[in-house]
Amino acid sequence: MIRLASAAAAFLAACLAQPWVAGDPVVHVLVQFPLLAAAGYLLAIGQRVPPSLTGPLLVVALTTAAIWMLPRSVDAALADTGWHLAKFVTLPLGFGAPLALCWPTIGPILRGFLKAQSVSMLLFLGFLYTHAPVRICNSYLVDDQVRLGLGFVWAALALTAIWMIPVLFGRMPEIAKEERYEFSRHG
Amino acid sequence: MTTASIGNETAIASTQAPVVKLTMLLSGVVFLLMMVFGLIMRAAQGGLIELDPEFFYLLLTAHGAGMVGSAALSGAAILWYFSARYLDLRGGIYLGFLGLFLLGVVLILGSIFVGGYGGAWTFLFPLPALSGGLWEAGAAVAFCLGYVAIGVGFLLYYLELGLKISARYRGLLGGLGWRYLFGGSDADLPPPTIIAASSVLVFNTIGIVFGAAVLAASIVNLLFPSFAVDPLLAKNAIYFFGHVFINATIYMAITAVYEILPTYTGRPWKTTRVFVGAWAAVVIFVQAVYFHHLLQDVNMPAWTLAVGQIVSYASGIPLIGVTVFSLAVYIKGSGLKWDLPVSLLTLGVIGWGVGVIPAIVDGMVAVNKLMHNTQWVPGHFHTYLLLGEVAMAFGFAAWLVRDAARQTMSGLDKLVFRAYVLGGAGFTLIFLWSGASSIPRRWAVHYEDWQFQSQLASVFALVVILATTVLVLRYAIGLLRRSP
Amino acid sequence: MIRHLIPTSVAVCLGVAALWQATDGLRAITAEGARRVQVADNPQPVSQVMLETMQGDWRALHGPSPTLVEFIYTTCPTICQASGGDFAELRDHLSQAGLSVPMYSISFDPEVDDLSALQSYGELHTATGAPWTIARPVPADLPQLLKTFQVTVIPDGWGGYEHNIAVLLIDAQGRFAGAFDTRAFDDIRDAVEAAL
Repeated sequence: MIRLASAAAAFLAACLAQPWVAGDPVVHVLVQFPLLAAAGYLLAIGQRVPPSLTGPLLVVALTTAAIWMLPRSVDAALADTGWHLAKFVTLPLGFGAPLALCWPTIGPILRGFLKAQSVSMLLFLGFLYTHAPVRICNSYLVDDQVRLGLGFVWAALALTAIWMIPVLFGRMPEIAKEERYEFSRHG
Repeated sequence: MTTASIGNETAIASTQAPVVKLTMLLSGVVFLLMMVFGLIMRAAQGGLIELDPEFFYLLLTAHGAGMVGSAALSGAAILWYFSARYLDLRGGIYLGFLGLFLLGVVLILGSIFVGGYGGAWTFLFPLPALSGGLWEAGAAVAFCLGYVAIGVGFLLYYLELGLKISARYRGLLGGLGWRYLFGGSDADLPPPTIIAASSVLVFNTIGIVFGAAVLAASIVNLLFPSFAVDPLLAKNAIYFFGHVFINATIYMAITAVYEILPTYTGRPWKTTRVFVGAWAAVVIFVQAVYFHHLLQDVNMPAWTLAVGQIVSYASGIPLIGVTVFSLAVYIKGSGLKWDLPVSLLTLGVIGWGVGVIPAIVDGMVAVNKLMHNTQWVPGHFHTYLLLGEVAMAFGFAAWLVRDAARQTMSGLDKLVFRAYVLGGAGFTLIFLWSGASSIPRRWAVHYEDWQFQSQLASVFALVVILATTVLVLRYAIGLLRRSP
Repeated sequence: MIRHLIPTSVAVCLGVAALWQATDGLRAITAEGARRVQVADNPQPVSQVMLETMQGDWRALHGPSPTLVEFIYTTCPTICQASGGDFAELRDHLSQAGLSVPMYSISFDPEVDDLSALQSYGELHTATGAPWTIARPVPADLPQLLKTFQVTVIPDGWGGYEHNIAVLLIDAQGRFAGAFDTRAFDDIRDAVEAAL
């Protein structure tokens, strides 16, 4: 019940952010996108799926994430009604929810890889947005583009801290779980 | 799943041995092939053979990427082998790492010898994109993807090590020994190999994450040229990643010394506060030292150059000091029998220590302005790789196939070892001499005035190659003899 | 294992196909890139509009010969000035190749850009009226023009605008058939020759 309520709250917050997304890419990409993903994640967390779906669900989540990483998708979500609606459907149901469904059955190595990859991609986006000599999004100003780039870097640093501190002190849920889930994609 | 019981120092991780042995054979063969490439380049610079300059740069690229790659591969094999004495490492992860590594090698070799990519192993922006028609963007993309595959492989490798260390030694701080360093008790203190493994995995994972980011940016730039990358930022990221990665090779290989030497001296290599502190210095400083690659970039803020110079001293010296000193103490009076493995390992430590001296000299801003683009720099890294990491790798390989019944060096062993030392020292000294006489590096064609040095270097290179051939053959025969 | 691998492989194939689709076959990751790829593949009809040139006469946007267009505003302190210089170079480049096609720098700020503003912009960048002139549409035609050519104009907060800039080609059939970097002179020349 609390889960569904928080999912709805996240989705509502994402909708409330809509008036600001056209003017500020940071609100669009680093506030609204994560809220939509969180809505889907909360919606699906705790639900069980057959293990054979783990792989496909992860691929769906990664593909959705990759498509929304493209600057042209961010532009299209502002310029095109179809893309605008797709944003509110695919980020929760194509990214957040599949991720929540497959995450419990993913082995620790693959998890670590995905975390490292997300930090790496955030840094890459930061690199691109802060230093591109061209405007990446038609809908946003160059200054905002740089702010978004710095936002990506901060997000990367925050995720690194959140993920690394337990590893440094040896309090990882993965270790407890490892015995139960011997299966690991690369193992 | 290994059967080695966790924490039992005497248990040998036998199930990891076959694949490690195979890796060492692979590395040995690649080392040899890359040495031949090196000889061809030196001979061409010496005017001894005719070589199309375009082909020279293909060889230069392959030699750089191949040597860094096989140094990393052999280092990783050594670290895995010995870490498995303390940790329940999964062989499947290692196979995944090896598979991705080989995929990377195929992509890199294909991009060079099929695609014609000759933009050097450092893929510095914007060279991969501006080939002047020598190679297509696709070749440079394949080269970058090859690196990505190798990076992903290493990431899996380090994640497995990190997970197991974190679980066994109460977090990475335990594995690094920092809990002990900062006043904790020495209960459950990790052995030197685990300290090294934890340190390397921390800084090399950070390096790989940055490397992946800059590789992605380079690939985007190659596919979409309007996305020009900021050259200075790219250079920073590439040298951060590259410096950390090449340093990691030797920091992984050194575990062979920590593990093998005690079996000769009968004195275990102990984890002391000084030892942990020296490794802590490595973890921190190895990440800040790359600035000394950018001393010639006038746009860099002055403080970074100062950091580059100061950290050049702070990064390697404590650990090298501790390792060389400990080695001397352990060996002294132990009645050690000098056979080939232990000789090569000792050479590796000495070569590593000596090889850092020219780096520190070059790390001084004033010297760097004159020396950075001369052969002084290859002189430095050939010393600590050829006489350092590679010597350790061959020492480890020789130890894997050692004949327990023999405790001394055969006549052939002595000859091979002396030839390797003499050839390697002569070869690297000529680089240093050439650098001191301002002969530039990375030039395909040398003026006649410079050719004598290259000719002499070719002779020494030939001696090294002959010695290495025997080392590789001796190892291969040893493997055959042992496996029924 | 196979039971796990097959669905995953299918998903990977679909995912790759989706990404291929989303980037027009790895050719475009930005909206500007997508515009260039898409019009080259699928030329879009351009509805005819009349433009008022800096000389004060009225001309049809496209006619029997290919036409080159770029969108600017004359009070622009930055990229329009650079692209004005590029357009002058393009004119010289084309005339050296023996090509003479109408070239328009069209103001998307027709309320502010009066005839004298158009003239001084033209004078500054050596536009003489033929083949290159500076022009402005009737304000009512502007939204449709910007939509057809996928030009996005946003206020920069300093009283000016930021907008995507490119040299746009209308072919002899009156279709929007190409968008190019302002300095891609050779590509533009080839495209004009092909559209003749």
